[in-house]
Amino acid sequence: MALPQTELRPMGKSILRKEDPRLIRGKGRYVDDIMLPNMLYLCILRSPYAHARIRRIDTSAAQAAPGVKLVMTGEDLAKMNLAWMPTLAGDQQMVLATGKVLFQYQEVAAVVAETRAQAEDAIQLIEVDYEPLPAVVDPFKALEPDAPILREDKEKKSNHIWHWEAGDREETEAIFRDAPVVVKQDVRFQRVHPSPLEPCGCVADYNSATGRLTFYVTSQAPHVHRTAIAMVTGFPEHQIHVISPDVGGGFGNKVPIYPGYVCAIVASMKLGVPVKWIETRTENIASTHFARDYHMTAEIAATEDGKMLALRVKTIADHGAFDATANPTKYPAGLFSIVTGSYDFKAAFVEVDGVHTNKPPGGVAYRCSFRVTEASYLIERVVDILARRLQMDPAELRLRNFIRKEQFPYRCPTGWVYDSGDYEKTLKLALERIGYDELRKEQAEKRARGEFMGIGISTFTEIVGAGPAHSFDILGIKMFDSAEIRVHPTGKVIARLGVRHQGQGHETTFAQIIAEELGLSADDVLIEEGDTDTAPYGLGTYGSRSTPTAGAAAALCGRRIREKARKIAAHLLEVGEDDVVWDGTSFSAKGLPGRSVTMKDVALAAYTNVPEGMEPGLEATYYYNPPNLTFPNGAYIAVVDIDKGTGAVKVRRFLAVDDCGNVINPMIVEGQVHGGLTEGFAIAFMQDIPYDADGNCLAPNWMDYLVPTSLDTPKWETDRTVTPSPHHPIGAKGVGESPNVGSPAAFVNAVVDALSPLGVEHIDMPIYPWKVWSILREHGIEE
Amino acid sequence: MRTYEGEFTIDRPRETVWAFVTDPHKMGTCIPDLIELNVESENRFRTLVRVGVGPVRGKFDLTCELTVTEPGAAASLAIRGGGMGSGVDMKAEMSLSDVDGGTHMKWRCDAVVSGPIASLGGRLIDGEARKITEKVFTNLKNALNVLSKETRAAVAEKAASDEG
Repeated sequence: MALPQTELRPMGKSILRKEDPRLIRGKGRYVDDIMLPNMLYLCILRSPYAHARIRRIDTSAAQAAPGVKLVMTGEDLAKMNLAWMPTLAGDQQMVLATGKVLFQYQEVAAVVAETRAQAEDAIQLIEVDYEPLPAVVDPFKALEPDAPILREDKEKKSNHIWHWEAGDREETEAIFRDAPVVVKQDVRFQRVHPSPLEPCGCVADYNSATGRLTFYVTSQAPHVHRTAIAMVTGFPEHQIHVISPDVGGGFGNKVPIYPGYVCAIVASMKLGVPVKWIETRTENIASTHFARDYHMTAEIAATEDGKMLALRVKTIADHGAFDATANPTKYPAGLFSIVTGSYDFKAAFVEVDGVHTNKPPGGVAYRCSFRVTEASYLIERVVDILARRLQMDPAELRLRNFIRKEQFPYRCPTGWVYDSGDYEKTLKLALERIGYDELRKEQAEKRARGEFMGIGISTFTEIVGAGPAHSFDILGIKMFDSAEIRVHPTGKVIARLGVRHQGQGHETTFAQIIAEELGLSADDVLIEEGDTDTAPYGLGTYGSRSTPTAGAAAALCGRRIREKARKIAAHLLEVGEDDVVWDGTSFSAKGLPGRSVTMKDVALAAYTNVPEGMEPGLEATYYYNPPNLTFPNGAYIAVVDIDKGTGAVKVRRFLAVDDCGNVINPMIVEGQVHGGLTEGFAIAFMQDIPYDADGNCLAPNWMDYLVPTSLDTPKWETDRTVTPSPHHPIGAKGVGESPNVGSPAAFVNAVVDALSPLGVEHIDMPIYPWKVWSILREHGIEE
Repeated sequence: MRTYEGEFTIDRPRETVWAFVTDPHKMGTCIPDLIELNVESENRFRTLVRVGVGPVRGKFDLTCELTVTEPGAAASLAIRGGGMGSGVDMKAEMSLSDVDGGTHMKWRCDAVVSGPIASLGGRLIDGEARKITEKVFTNLKNALNVLSKETRAAVAEKAASDEG
């Protein structure tokens, strides 16, 4: 049962979410709810071709259409030097196409009209004369010497973008040469899309009288957006006011800047009135940032008795037409080198090559830290293949190879220093709670009867909470985060943070952190995020970084306030500062029972009765640069039954045991885990964005790109172990993404386990019923 | 790219079939769901057709250009155009040969479909495109059959009047 927000000492308690009364009643305010006087609507004409030269664009009929105020093409933007914009990966991307188009649904022209319907109608009147060019859809074919070069604008005449590697090649090769057992598997992590309920959109409002641009946008990183807009347009940064109102889901999709934003800003500046642009569902899936699309090959070298020695990974990363992956500059493949996972390998070598194809740009982390889901899925899949080869129980193989508790802080062969964990304890808890031994017995009986039941384990390690600033940046801006706390005279608090929540519950959890530090209740603390005029600078919410960075900033900022409060308390208690004791809710005088003051008393005094020489007021700001990342981990177990008649997989049970360090609000953590597992389930069984040979996107809608409903979703069981992060001020690690990172492997391992009597070693996601049905029929299994 | 093909035999002499398929006025009317036909020259015509694939419904404006590759025996028809932000690029080839009791026609059509109609239609597009293409040639066959019946009737009528 959740507790009211008035609870004191709220840390670690399931406090009711402060945002729910507003969001559940439909009283949230999203970007499309914003209506401004004289506002116009923008729609975008998109390319039907995946690759074509643009011979000519005739906009005359559209210009003359009813209600149309402005028609823009790439050539118009080129005159303002805005036809291209920088991507998060340091490449450049066309805002509106000039010369040629490089993916289906690419932005070609924009129309601004009095109503959305008028704008939609008018874009149909734009005549574009295309000369279709051969489309490159397969990233392996893109690397062939005779492949058409997609990016004529780049100096490098190749579809190869970059090569990146981590670990020690020679040491790894040496171990592989002498290894008694080697397993190798190609694993595809298909192209998926975060597909938030609310698509992307903005309202650009340029006021020609004040010279200010107010930009409402559904953004996970409003400060970064403001800086990027200033850099792209040359507009003075302090004259840009970015407001990210309630965000209807992000999952990584709302980190980048999209061409529609630039078009809306240009249109508002040209026309002097507000301009709104809201995507359709198809535009969201088919043109904004996708996730994954990694073609991976992994090999493990091991001994006969199951000691894993070395790991070798080669990956082709399909980045689409522009390299726009949302990764820190130093890490073009993100944190993919966490691929050694929870295991103590002697050596590892990881290579990734980025490739251009005629597909939309992207490569955001869909509810995961940078490329961590790909890594986690790969290692957890291949460890299972090794277990099968060694005829060893997959749980036993894992227990034999885990990094042991006493090895932390642990430096992995690719260089990351894991902060803390107790993998053995977490897996053992999961095995016990699910009743692993009984399930294996049941499985043996069912196999004897010709039934297909599977048990899948995934024991993942995540890497989240970027910074530290020395290694991590977005567009050169270091990845710290911030909090500012103002305690007002009656002891009520407004706190602002540099991150931007999209359903994570920051208004509650950050209020809990601050209330805990200040001896107040969560009810006393109002959290504000998303307004660049008021919030301190921060890098935003993604990669499970809010609690590790801004959460730490909030706690340390609270402690900074408490230091000043202690001085005021000493003044009020008429004792020396050293004689003041803080017990969590009040300051008292050492040795003088009954004499105490609360934070509310102190707050009033801060504005009415400060000691001589002290600045009045009670507020502080804290910029937190984490000394290291945090490494949440977990043990997930899926139990599935396969219907021989239809090939449908039923997830009978799913248990997630997470270790995300200290927990701020258990109810919110559980909710986060439920949401992430549901997305992991969708990826494992339902989601894929395929392209045909001409580069047509075959799943640009929710009929073909599936989002699970309550009827599809299994029942989730959760539990946890707690290994606090030693370097985080409150020992928290972050959890939002763990379930999406850890669960796909558990699902797939369970299905492969069920089909293993047929010799099946791997099935690529999504595991559609027809894939299972085909495998059963190939082996002569009938209903 | 998708390829569709077929063949059939019709009990009419090759010259008659050839004259029919190379006449835009006649060939144009074989296009299913035709709203408008504008013959611009003897080898070029424009059509407005109704298209529906899955949830996508609207009109396509298509330009068709006929090229004779072997007079009396082989021709190709290039069809290009689109609508609703989608495009179609087709090349249909047909060849005629004499067989017992008539003419054998072989046809093959390579189609590239792009835009929302290709993607929104998803897996429906293939069946739909096949259906449309086959319909063109079914219409053609039917039209020739009618022609053949009409001619036969005319011949019979003429014979009857001659007798009378």
